Amino acid sequence: MKLVCKVKVKNALGLHTRPAAAIVRLLQPHKSNVMFTYRDETINARSIMSILMLAAKKNSQITITIEGDDAETTMTHIVRAFEEEFGEK
Amino acid sequence: MLAMAEEVILRGLPVSKGIGIGLPVFFSNWDEDVPQVQIPVKEIDREIERYRAALALSCQDVEGLRTVSLKDGPSEIALILSTHLEMMKDPMLTTAIEEKIRALQCNTESVFQHLIEEYKRRFNHLQDSYFQERVRDIIDVCKRILHHLCPLQRLKIGELPNNSVVLTHELVPSETVEASPPLISGFVTMAGGITSHAAIIARAKGIPYVANIDIKMFKHLPLKALIVDGSQGLVILNPARKTLKKYQEIKRGHQASYRQLKSASHLRGETVDGYEVRVFANLENPKEVDLILKNGALGVGLFRSEYLFLAKREFPSEEEQFLIYKKMAVALKGSPLVIRIFDIGGDKKVDLLPEQRDAHYFSKIGPELNPALGCRAIRFLLRFPELLYAQLRAILRASAFGDLQILIPMVSDLSELRQVRAMVNEISKELGIPAKKSIPIGCMIEVPSSAIMCDALAKEADFLSIGTNDLVQYLLAADRTNPHTVDLYFATHPSILRMIRMIVASANCARKPVIICGECAADPALIPLLLGLGIREFSVAARHIPLVKHTIRKWRILEACRLAEGALEQTAAQELKDYIAAETCR
Repeated sequence: MKLVCKVKVKNALGLHTRPAAAIVRLLQPHKSNVMFTYRDETINARSIMSILMLAAKKNSQITITIEGDDAETTMTHIVRAFEEEFGEK
Repeated sequence: MLAMAEEVILRGLPVSKGIGIGLPVFFSNWDEDVPQVQIPVKEIDREIERYRAALALSCQDVEGLRTVSLKDGPSEIALILSTHLEMMKDPMLTTAIEEKIRALQCNTESVFQHLIEEYKRRFNHLQDSYFQERVRDIIDVCKRILHHLCPLQRLKIGELPNNSVVLTHELVPSETVEASPPLISGFVTMAGGITSHAAIIARAKGIPYVANIDIKMFKHLPLKALIVDGSQGLVILNPARKTLKKYQEIKRGHQASYRQLKSASHLRGETVDGYEVRVFANLENPKEVDLILKNGALGVGLFRSEYLFLAKREFPSEEEQFLIYKKMAVALKGSPLVIRIFDIGGDKKVDLLPEQRDAHYFSKIGPELNPALGCRAIRFLLRFPELLYAQLRAILRASAFGDLQILIPMVSDLSELRQVRAMVNEISKELGIPAKKSIPIGCMIEVPSSAIMCDALAKEADFLSIGTNDLVQYLLAADRTNPHTVDLYFATHPSILRMIRMIVASANCARKPVIICGECAADPALIPLLLGLGIREFSVAARHIPLVKHTIRKWRILEACRLAEGALEQTAAQELKDYIAAETCR
């Protein structure tokens, strides 16, 4: 299954180290392939360094693409994490 | 093979005089370009193994640090370390690097170098300083792994074998402080200017130093020995026997004439016609108090207290400072001890790892676009008053044991002096020090604004101290460490002379002492000029005292005044330089 969803970076400091680490940790129990696309770049969301490389600030639009058996639950979790500003609200 | 190594002479920038003969030691800052080495296909697996081992060791490091900081220490640190751990498990660092080593068939270090460059490139053009700051985490992690790849790079300057010539990209002050002459016979670097802090220390310690030498190119040469000629700015690789002999003779000559000067250094600092000139010492290392007295100093004219921080990489507590200052005061037996409060920031920064105790002070300020004009010295201390408070309290407590004085670095407005004085008064009250015994507080005059407002500062301060190194750099808007502006950096620009004359006049008018403590105070060609401009107190590195006194004892005040008058008529930098050269050779 393949899912695509657009999210907005809401936390004040953007996708910096802590949120990036939170995303990677969140993905660990899931098996699907997760990609982030920002501007023209698509990266593996399991890599902190790649997420940082995007340098996505507050209000950036990120396209999440998930492919795999548990795509649906993975998407729910990750969208919620973005909504909750990775606990930085 | 070694016998065939040929003599090669390289010309660089002479930074610290003298002759050094010794064995080369490559002292790598991690920033230095790592040479790219091709790796044969059959050894690729071994290279990858090497990388995995380094990565595993780095994980262990961080794991250990984290365990410690989980037990005691702020939770942020443990959090940062956890993030570092995650990074080391990141596919970009594990599989991606391994794939790259395989694809490019070159050494891990160079693959890393490319990766770091890529990150820097991406983040540096971002305007957002917060994101720029994040690169540090990545660099920290990479640095740790690189250290484990080449454990030799963890050499400490203080632990090198005797007669080492240190070859490195750039010297940082905290490393230079650890260097001492029997171990280190010379420095050769790619970057660094005449007035960088590392250069000042090298000169103070009498270690020859030549900069602007492309050390990368002789990493591949068979190197036996080398000569550093810090007077001519030459570096001679694999000297022939004849050359070696010549230099050994020059070196012996230097040592003999220095001994001769030194034997006269107990004499009073006075001109031929009997004017007293007081010569004090600049000091970085509190343990060298005895040395400065032996060299004939009247006391400490400038104690660069920030080296207490630079050496330890954390701010010493009030109690630690008190003990150090007290010990110095006692050793000085009533001679003055001018403590310049922490001149931290700008180019005097150490790269603290985020887990180190005092890193937060610097992370709050973040990388500055223009550190020389940034939050440093008194600005930094007023931003973090707890540091200022602890230091002032330590000084005031120690002041019971000697003649202690406080010097404020980088004053750019009267308010800074007033704030420090208010805090000193408050602490004096707490300690029950009577107002009569108030400690003298002086201002460094090193920013053009304070030089211009000198009359006002002189009224409120107890003494003034001219820091020519920074004053020249700020007045001429020429970075003292930038090789492209080195030609503009004239310690003897006509504007500097006028400024010094102005400062001396203001100080005299307010009947306050003025001392000069920059590098130019130790230059035999400039001393008569400074005397002529009215300077009667000098503070120089201990080893220059014999030469400074020797120069002072050769001149008459009247001649010096005439020299200065003539110099003030010169209007272009080069003309003035030629004038001084022609008039002061004696």
